[in-house]
Amino acid sequence: MDARALAKSLHPLETKVLLRYGPGDELGNARLAAELGYKEGQSNQAFSWLGAKGLVEEAGRTTRVVYELTPLGRELAEKGTGEERLLRRVAENGPAALPELAAALGLEQKDIGSAFGQLSKEGILAMGEGKKATLASGKASPRMEAVRALLERAAKTVDGILGDESLSAPEREAMAGIARKRGAGDSAFRAAERETIVYRLSANAPEAAAALRELGVTGDEIGALTAAMLESGSWKDGTFRPYNVGVQPARLMPGRLNPYGEFLASVKDKLVSLGFEEFDGSLVETEFWNSDALFMPQFHSARDIHDVYRLAEPTSAKFIEEPYLSQVASAHENGGATGSRGWSYAFDREFTKRLILRSQGTVLSARALTRAAVPSKYFGIARCFRYDKVDATHLSDFYQTEGIVVGEDVNLRTLLGFLEMFAREVAGAKEVKYVPGYFPFTEPSVEVHIKHPVLGWFELGGAGIFRPEVTEPLGVKVPVLAWGMGIDRMALMALGLNDLRELFSDDVEAVRLRRASFSV
Amino acid sequence: MPKIEVNERQFFDLLGRVRDAASLEEVLPGAKAELDGWDLAGGKPGDSGASERVIKIELNDTNRPDLWSTAGLARQLRVLDGAPVPEYSFFSREGDERAAKYTVKVESSVAKVRPYMAAFVISGKPISDAMLRDAIQTQEKLCWNFGRKRRSVSMGLYRTALISWPVAYKAVDPDSVSFVPLGMDAPLTLRRALAAHPKGKEYGFILEGEPSHPLLVDATGKVLSYPPIINSNDLGAVQVGDSDLLVELTGTDLQAVTLSASIVACDFADAGYEIQPVAIEYPEPTAFGRRVVFPYYFQKPVALDSSRASKLLGKSLSPDAILEALAKAGVTADVHGQFIQAFPPEYRNDFLHAVDVVEDVMIGRGMADFPPERPRDFTIGRLHPNEKISRKAKNLMVGLGYQEMIYNYLGSGRDYVERMGVDPEGVVRISNPMTESVEYVRPSILPSLLGSEAASARAPYPHRIFETGKVAFRDSSENYGVATRQRLGFLAAHAEANYNEAASVVAALFYYLGEDWSIEESDDGRFIPGRQARLMRKGTSVGVFGELHPRVLENWGVTVPAVAGEIDIESFA
Repeated sequence: MDARALAKSLHPLETKVLLRYGPGDELGNARLAAELGYKEGQSNQAFSWLGAKGLVEEAGRTTRVVYELTPLGRELAEKGTGEERLLRRVAENGPAALPELAAALGLEQKDIGSAFGQLSKEGILAMGEGKKATLASGKASPRMEAVRALLERAAKTVDGILGDESLSAPEREAMAGIARKRGAGDSAFRAAERETIVYRLSANAPEAAAALRELGVTGDEIGALTAAMLESGSWKDGTFRPYNVGVQPARLMPGRLNPYGEFLASVKDKLVSLGFEEFDGSLVETEFWNSDALFMPQFHSARDIHDVYRLAEPTSAKFIEEPYLSQVASAHENGGATGSRGWSYAFDREFTKRLILRSQGTVLSARALTRAAVPSKYFGIARCFRYDKVDATHLSDFYQTEGIVVGEDVNLRTLLGFLEMFAREVAGAKEVKYVPGYFPFTEPSVEVHIKHPVLGWFELGGAGIFRPEVTEPLGVKVPVLAWGMGIDRMALMALGLNDLRELFSDDVEAVRLRRASFSV
Repeated sequence: MPKIEVNERQFFDLLGRVRDAASLEEVLPGAKAELDGWDLAGGKPGDSGASERVIKIELNDTNRPDLWSTAGLARQLRVLDGAPVPEYSFFSREGDERAAKYTVKVESSVAKVRPYMAAFVISGKPISDAMLRDAIQTQEKLCWNFGRKRRSVSMGLYRTALISWPVAYKAVDPDSVSFVPLGMDAPLTLRRALAAHPKGKEYGFILEGEPSHPLLVDATGKVLSYPPIINSNDLGAVQVGDSDLLVELTGTDLQAVTLSASIVACDFADAGYEIQPVAIEYPEPTAFGRRVVFPYYFQKPVALDSSRASKLLGKSLSPDAILEALAKAGVTADVHGQFIQAFPPEYRNDFLHAVDVVEDVMIGRGMADFPPERPRDFTIGRLHPNEKISRKAKNLMVGLGYQEMIYNYLGSGRDYVERMGVDPEGVVRISNPMTESVEYVRPSILPSLLGSEAASARAPYPHRIFETGKVAFRDSSENYGVATRQRLGFLAAHAEANYNEAASVVAALFYYLGEDWSIEESDDGRFIPGRQARLMRKGTSVGVFGELHPRVLENWGVTVPAVAGEIDIESFA
């Protein structure tokens, strides 16, 4: 750092030291207190900061004895010592017996005893007639004067401390009588040893001081702008101390949305802008709505106990809505009125009531069909549950994005048109391709693959036209396009993650620090 | 989704050409298949090392078991490539039966346990290594995926030369008969075989509780197999080089058994084997008659209105154009006015409805023939009320200094019940959890938030976190006995967290949500008594908040004071 930059980074406490002193000056807290008016804490800060910048160095250490006024000492300074009060009482009210004096002055018997002993020894008081204390010389001794001087001097300092070096010989002698090192509660002063560091400006300090002068910095610039300054207008007479703007700011912990939530919301907004209405539903579903209504035969391998979660209690719904139950059951058994030959098995009306955790978002599409207007479009980002071992690429609960388009004139080509819109608008893909697919509830079925700018080719989703065995038993006579999108991979990329479990992280710090970049 | 391995040499021989990976990837979607892996080991497709290499392929159509074999997949691709639809003359049909040299007699005892059987004999040349491997793979994929883990279909191969005809299919007391199962050297009773043989352990569940078990024996009483568990070690031990093999399938679904037999027969026929029919004599008439000669064609033609195809595909197609497209997809059909009558190939039974034929039209013409079209219908998009109220609440919580979290909804009884000290009766439990850590559905957002707090003691304080999301709990007034609700949960943890902080958050929320509300005293055990309140809106309780009880904090290992609240925001929506 050059001298000018260094000068700019200085605090007023440092500035004043650099401007005031030159090489060879011995600096310490006492000197700064006396000459710059620094409190001990300010001096310590100034030396510490200057030291960190290499502008002062330690020149040596000295140990000094100090005397610190105790609370008792402070009281004595104010009200007078026992001896002073005894002398004053006798001088003002005449001779009196010691117990009498103790009561009048509110002092303990032994304290009166020792005070009288000391004064009598010094010929100030004497024991007169009738065991009454009477004036002798009646004049305070030099020792008493020294004690008074010590108490008053100490009481006037900010910290109540007197350095041994500041005492005269009689004072030092007097101090010995009223200070103690330990158990000083009963004494006026506590005696202690203090280490004092002596500093000297280092060789590069003059350069910094020169830079300060050149900048016109005095150390008296305005720091924090206060309401009082604004009110009085005093700021007009000063200049503002420049702050070091390079300092690392303190960390804030703001309230914040979860980036994964923001990502999901952005997908929802996109779909709403394309004319889709959002649907929502129960986490717990029946086999009927989860699979039967979607024309998945009850013996389908994806319906095994190892593929869906079943409820322990209750195990079954009370009922399945009619006429859907009967119509779906016929579609399975022999096609019913749908023109299908059905799956040719006996539909199990108890199994269909069994409660499970919904395993596919398509259940919401099936339910939407029972109330869908023509034309209409629906979508949902639904939490689904799968019997899967949880790892970086599999979760046992996760979001699926799906929807339907109901309309007289929808067909394979409009389906592809939608998929192209999703690919371009939602996934930001430039290239799209379609291949035949298979889903139990759609025919024809297609898969859409996109070339993502970063991920390369991958399957964005599957889609198809709902089979008549799905739509007709639920009361829909027009074609229905059904689609599903896998947006997890896009979410991971948007959040800079590579493990699906991170999307549902319970780590507060990880979520607080997570950043997201996505354009949808 | 079945995944298969095909022998590269055999596959390309059947395909009639060699393709590289790029070209395979281009044509596989015609069979709804994907290239899953192909290690050329430094060679080139179709070179001299091809007979030692395999191509891994994933099949997506669970209703097309005919594609799950080398021959079946090659057939579909061959036809799409322009080859003629193959003809198989060995099929019997209703009123048109082939002569059968071999007979199996089915006894009425199997009616209750595993009533159906189909069979045929392959001959003409010894079985090659690649073909035997493929047959075993076909058996596994067919019987596992299509045959529901052998429940509805299982299959066995036998050396015809060792068999004395006629063969009998019957059910016996599992303790009364012994045989040497494949791969073992001493005879075991059927019941012992279930316990001792690996296949018995794997598939024994199918026969659980059955008093009599299926058995296939020849005219001299020698055991062919113990369906659907395991073959015998002599008649049922087939090796490379054997010729004249009996292929037999048993099961509980006549159509599935018959179709599986047809698939395997066509695969062998494509590979140059001769198929000899076998007559199965049932004690009672089946849907196909009392005496059925297999392979048997049972499928019914499907009628398709050409205008329906045009409407669904979004492209006007003449009946002749449809006929041509179907031929390309391997389906023969004829035209009757505007109707097309499509005949499912012998190895397929996936035409449940005319729309299934429409998909073959799509595949026959190719996806490129259907350019995407912008939808024309105008509809108004809107968010669900739950989403709208959640977004409002989220914005307020963010403004109040809270970090949004998103949690899983499944967890353990320890977290959702024990640590919270709540009544397990109200919590939705899963009867078949994969692990204890995903045994319950969360009844509240609070355990999720506490889980975060427990995991985040080293994150700088204060912690202020929230989530809007779903909970589910038992509710007997619902048809499902369970209610799902959209809620907001929040938690603040730091040295000075106290009731007033939570109360202020709630007050601010309700003020900006524009809701009238009041509070009542509450005695929720999760909070400190006297430092918690119930939130009331229009006379009903919509939430609770307060200082979390130190007992609960201790259960979670949380060592800073924490306040929390949970509000049913769905009721505001």
